Amino acid sequence: MRTLRLVCLATLLVSLPFAFAALAADGDAGDPITERQEAMKKVGDSMKALSGIARGEAPFDAEVVRRNATTIAESFERAAELFPAGSDKGAHETWAKAEIWANRADFEAKLQAGHDAAVALQSVTEEAAYRPALGKVGQACRACHDSYRRPKE
Amino acid sequence: MTGARRSRRRWLAAAGIAAAGVAAALWLSRPRPLPATVLPAHAADPRRGEVLYRVGSCHACHRAAPGEVGEATGAPVGTAPFPTPFGTFYPGNLTPAPETGLGRWRAIDFVNAMARGLAPDGRHYFPAFPYTSYRAMPVEDLLDLWAYLGTLEPIEVGRRRAQVPLLPLARRGVGLWKRLALGPVALERDPARGEAWNRGAYLALAPGHCGECHTPRDALMRLDPTRSLAGGAHPAGEGRVPSLRGLAARGRYRDAADLALALRYGEELGFDKLSSGGMAKIQVELSHLPDAELEALAEYLMSLEPL
Repeated sequence: MRTLRLVCLATLLVSLPFAFAALAADGDAGDPITERQEAMKKVGDSMKALSGIARGEAPFDAEVVRRNATTIAESFERAAELFPAGSDKGAHETWAKAEIWANRADFEAKLQAGHDAAVALQSVTEEAAYRPALGKVGQACRACHDSYRRPKE
Repeated sequence: MTGARRSRRRWLAAAGIAAAGVAAALWLSRPRPLPATVLPAHAADPRRGEVLYRVGSCHACHRAAPGEVGEATGAPVGTAPFPTPFGTFYPGNLTPAPETGLGRWRAIDFVNAMARGLAPDGRHYFPAFPYTSYRAMPVEDLLDLWAYLGTLEPIEVGRRRAQVPLLPLARRGVGLWKRLALGPVALERDPARGEAWNRGAYLALAPGHCGECHTPRDALMRLDPTRSLAGGAHPAGEGRVPSLRGLAARGRYRDAADLALALRYGEELGFDKLSSGGMAKIQVELSHLPDAELEALAEYLMSLEPL
């Protein structure tokens, strides 16, 4: 009986942090700042794989290109939703500049340019066409970051 | 009767001291341009000048305002606002347009702007225009840059006045500030280092004026020479500008070749750190540099130890 109680108590104690973590994660799921940072991380990982090919660190592989370009294009499809009005500040630090909401149309046009460049990259099968197509995606990233991302130490 | 006389005398003394103070301030803040005799006999090379134009990223600040003339062609017409905590500046038209550009300037006017921060009429420029760094450039280099600007298509633009409180007084105040801030030029060759490293140091600190954002400032808004390129407050007041020291140790770039590649292509090759806080426009300008210049810049920057 006593052992059972101990086991119960121990289980409870061990699981408590997980329960809190789950709760916290649940709270974050609705937070646009966390969501967009996770989406941006995914885009960044894909961009890393793609630029590795362009830098000669990995061989050209049309399938790898298609997969990563698709990840980027899909992320951009709903990117605008992740910047709702009022999310220039929140529980988490954000590097999104207030200009996003002041120049909404321009911001969304820049997201669209990123999306379109990623879609064009999806269907690249020739190595010669790869570097320019990737450059277009990168130019879209740069244009938007330049206007709408605060510097990060 | 004696009391009134004494009070009057006191007033006169106070007025005298105030007048002397104003006279001293005017005297100390007067413009001190270089005479045309400093111009050496030099066959100016606009191609070398363009390298300096690109490394200085002149266009990054002197660009056109969105939707205005010069935006599409990348002409340095300088109509885009330049916000600072002190007010908003309009950098000015660098094309040889006679009315609103540099078309009527003489070479010595350009040298005085770059080396002394003075307009042709003797007005002080605010140090938002980084003559604080450019003054370390040899006159020959300034003349090369001047020659390059002379090759640009002249474009007239609307004039805009800086939005700074008490503008004329503030301008005069800049003259006093120059007395404190513009000491001897500290940029010297390091004989222990190679040609490329020294070239890189020069490009970074003089025409490139990296320190204007990447070096922290002291209470008098002077760059802190003991913390060169160690990162500082963003001049537009938005967060911090990262340190350029210990780039390899911090895992930012593998080596000088990696950094040179990053400066050349930026986010086109996924180097995303080069795109915020105004750096994207600078990187686009740097992408026009010859390989040797970019490699020199990268070699110098990668050599900087963490503080």
